[in-house]
Amino acid sequence: MTQSGDHTPEETPEQRDDLLAAEYVLGVLTGADWRAAAERAQVDGAFAALVAQWEERLAGLNEAYAAVPAADLMPQIEARLFPAPTRARRRWFTGFAAAALSASVVLAVVLWPQAPAPVQVQLVGEDARFVADYDGAALEFALALDAAGEGRDYELWAIGDDGVPRSLGLLRGPVTRVEAELLAGVTLAVSLEPAGGAPGDLPTGPVLATAVLPSVN
Amino acid sequence: MPDDIITELLLRVARQDRAAFRQLYSEAAPKLTGVLLRILGNRAEVDDAMQDVFIKVWQRAASFQPDKGRGISWMIAVARNHALDQLRRRPAAAGMFRAEARDAEGQDPLEQVADGAIGVEQGMIAQGEARRVVDCFATLEEERSAAVKGAYIEGLSYQELAERFEVPLNTMRTWLRRSLMRLKECMDQ
Repeated sequence: MTQSGDHTPEETPEQRDDLLAAEYVLGVLTGADWRAAAERAQVDGAFAALVAQWEERLAGLNEAYAAVPAADLMPQIEARLFPAPTRARRRWFTGFAAAALSASVVLAVVLWPQAPAPVQVQLVGEDARFVADYDGAALEFALALDAAGEGRDYELWAIGDDGVPRSLGLLRGPVTRVEAELLAGVTLAVSLEPAGGAPGDLPTGPVLATAVLPSVN
Repeated sequence: MPDDIITELLLRVARQDRAAFRQLYSEAAPKLTGVLLRILGNRAEVDDAMQDVFIKVWQRAASFQPDKGRGISWMIAVARNHALDQLRRRPAAAGMFRAEARDAEGQDPLEQVADGAIGVEQGMIAQGEARRVVDCFATLEEERSAAVKGAYIEGLSYQELAERFEVPLNTMRTWLRRSLMRLKECMDQ
């Protein structure tokens, strides 16, 4: 659905681009024309400048939009932009690993009849491999590697559609249970971090292994 | 002026100021919700779109240039673009038509636009740029002016505009392109 045939011969390429920018800002394009213009606005600086000029020219029309009561979506927005580091979980691992592990064993026994069959997820990298079972509520890791090394920890991350990694906690000890409600298709990754985990909200060390979580039956 | 506050907050957000980001939400959310509601036409999609828009605002705030326009205009451009993108991705958009009128008050949006009830004139007389928009739109034929405004405000496609104004698609294209060039000449004077 290109419109190349619609233009009169006397239009210069500059005029054509300017019109296209105007049509794009106005919002009248559809289908392939819309997508092509949107992509050009991203990658073609000269075209983006034309778009910005039209946005400015037509900005006076913005008065037509009435302000309406808005939902408070800041908690969701902040949760997506700045995922909280899972400090509680880290303490959980370092301080109460043994107690918590036995508790989870009890829970697993009690809940076993209702629990869905776990799926196995294998996080594979060049030199590392982590294998876990996921039952819809927690990942159960058996570390196939030696400890991360002096002053280092493995940290597990979940990366959703927004591409922002969220820490699920550290992987320490021979078996590590990480409680997390995860959607199938989320990417799991293990990075090598300073002891105690990445200091900020995002991984700092090399990513050792990744996998996409399969769906739980 | 509230717009100055938004511009100022946006500049702070560009420096990763989270407190400013929260305040920016309080200041700008009602207007942006209005933009998304008007273009998307239903409340159900608005909340998700608002989250996406504010995430883009946070991520792109550094590209906002205060000398090129006001903060609220920049934010509305981000919101309109996101809403239009959503609209054009809807399966129905491939068939170009939208069944329902997408005006919150149930009025025909183009009538509203055509009779000047949209408030372009109100509250912005002091703003030179808005004054010029109003004057320049006044130089267009009434129907064509309404078509341009309807496209911008509602996100109507060429096809939808042709339906609304009961003219062939190519006629609508010609109308809008000539109107846009006329507006440009007028506004760049």
